[in-house]
Amino acid sequence: MTPTLTIAKREFRSYFDSPLAYVVICLSFFGLGLFFFMYRGGFWQLDRATMQPLFEFVPAGLAMLVIPVVTMRLMAEEKRSGTLEMLITLPVKDSDVVLGKFIGAFGLVLTIVTATLLYPVLMFKAPWNLGPLDMGPVWSGYLGLVLYAAAAVSVGLLISSLTDSQAVAFFVTFFVLGAFWFSGNVADHLSGASANVLHYVSFQSRMSGFMRGLIDSRDVVFFLSITILALVVAFRALERRKWA
Amino acid sequence: MSTDVMIQASDLSKRFGHVRALDKVSFQVKKGEVVGFLGPNGAGKSTAMRILTCFLSPSAGSATVHGYDVFDDPLAVRRSIGYLPQRAPLYTDMSVIDYLRFTSEIRGLSPATFKKRLGTVIEVCGLAQVMTKDIGTLSHGYRQRVGLGQALIHDPPILILDEPTADLDPNEKAEVIRYIQEIGRDRTVLLSTHNLSEVEQACARAIIISKGKIVADGQLEEIRAKSGGIRYVVAVDGQGAEGDQAAPGYSDLEEAFGKLPGVKHVRELRTEENARRVEIAGPPDADLRAEIFRLMVARGWTLLELRRDAQSLDAVFRDLTKADEALDRGREWDEAVAAGPADEDDDDDDDSEDDDTDAASAAEPVAEAAEKR
Repeated sequence: MTPTLTIAKREFRSYFDSPLAYVVICLSFFGLGLFFFMYRGGFWQLDRATMQPLFEFVPAGLAMLVIPVVTMRLMAEEKRSGTLEMLITLPVKDSDVVLGKFIGAFGLVLTIVTATLLYPVLMFKAPWNLGPLDMGPVWSGYLGLVLYAAAAVSVGLLISSLTDSQAVAFFVTFFVLGAFWFSGNVADHLSGASANVLHYVSFQSRMSGFMRGLIDSRDVVFFLSITILALVVAFRALERRKWA
Repeated sequence: MSTDVMIQASDLSKRFGHVRALDKVSFQVKKGEVVGFLGPNGAGKSTAMRILTCFLSPSAGSATVHGYDVFDDPLAVRRSIGYLPQRAPLYTDMSVIDYLRFTSEIRGLSPATFKKRLGTVIEVCGLAQVMTKDIGTLSHGYRQRVGLGQALIHDPPILILDEPTADLDPNEKAEVIRYIQEIGRDRTVLLSTHNLSEVEQACARAIIISKGKIVADGQLEEIRAKSGGIRYVVAVDGQGAEGDQAAPGYSDLEEAFGKLPGVKHVRELRTEENARRVEIAGPPDADLRAEIFRLMVARGWTLLELRRDAQSLDAVFRDLTKADEALDRGREWDEAVAAGPADEDDDDDDDSEDDDTDAASAAEPVAEAAEKR
């Protein structure tokens, strides 16, 4: 097994060795259920066989709760406790560390995203059959979710690698991801170039295509670019210790 | 000879902002040596070790470990060393066995090799009792042992241990030292500490570093000899004793021993009921015991005790590093008072010296002017 995967495996397992993973999964599903079925009448009010609310609530929930909690400790905790020195002086490249940690955290987020598949399955296949669900937008929505989650996790990892305080990492990630998510709403109140920019970077507007079953290559490239960019910057931040 | 050199540091320098943590440090460690890296806190020991393990990069200079350059081939360097950082930072949520398996997987050991090595490591580090426990529940002593274990799991030719005995109780310390002695039989070990008795037990050679510079490097005996010479303690019967010979007074002793070749000084020591003791500072490269004995016989004095010992390493260490320290602490205080509480005390020596000279030269014209009047 390559060092990257070994690090990823350890990272993923350590979520389940602590109560963190269980707490996050339980609470996020509780919250999702509440919003999906209750918020402003929720799913019932729509009166359609659609999963669209899922793709509105899940990314917002990931940005506001799950991803900041999952990524806050990735680098910050290692730096604070000194284990980073132990890890890096093993024969691993700095890129192995960044990528391994990204894969580990992304794995946990993917687990949660995958588990939300229970919604369409339970509601529209068995035991309930609430109507004929068009699976196209569901699959494209999930593709969007996965891409979005990758971008958000890498942003969280980047922020965690800039500080050695988990609390700071949590709040900054919370704020940055929230800003990316709601920047589209802000843009609606503005006009001109700033509105265009805010619309352009808004995760929400990027997700809306996927929700409706539209896979736009620009959106795919946008999320992938954010992911790669954040990982490269996180790698640089880790390398900086050598010269500081 | 070059194949024998396991660690080679050449003119390593490291700056953190204004602070010069290492200043042109050069040393060699050969195969099979156990070397103690000594210095007061903040002298640059950890920084040097972090450079050797490629955790930090030097600001200037170069280093090779096991023949690999720390710049060009950091992975090969790390593969050939086992490293225990200060305070053994381990993942507290993992069990000991999981942690050892994790490091061996990253190091690319096959499961079969891991199994084989695990037996040795458990035995050498005494981990049998704690293998399935979470590291977070272990005492410091056991964590240190686990840290040693992960450093040994791949059977490295070179071990770098940063203060492996800090925070341990005396029993644990003794045990860790024993492990290091055992491990050091067939490996090259670089070990940092500020505890001198450990160095005397575990190492044959020491490198003493102070304020980022090497102040002594050599076999323990050499270091002792260079910086102090050898001292003899002689006790003479003070009761008069045999025949018609009178008991010698201090002046007699001083006069007699002072004439021996190379003696620097003779000093009175605490007197016991019936013995007079003197301390003789002898030359570092000779043994005066036989001559002292013959002199005693010739004078008809009764010898109660004759002891030759090299200056203790403790004293050497203090001599070599204390001057800097005292200076340092004094200055830190002055600066702190002068600069106020907000200022950080990490100013470089150069800066403060400049300040001093500036202040002096600024004061001079005033003094001259005063004289003219």
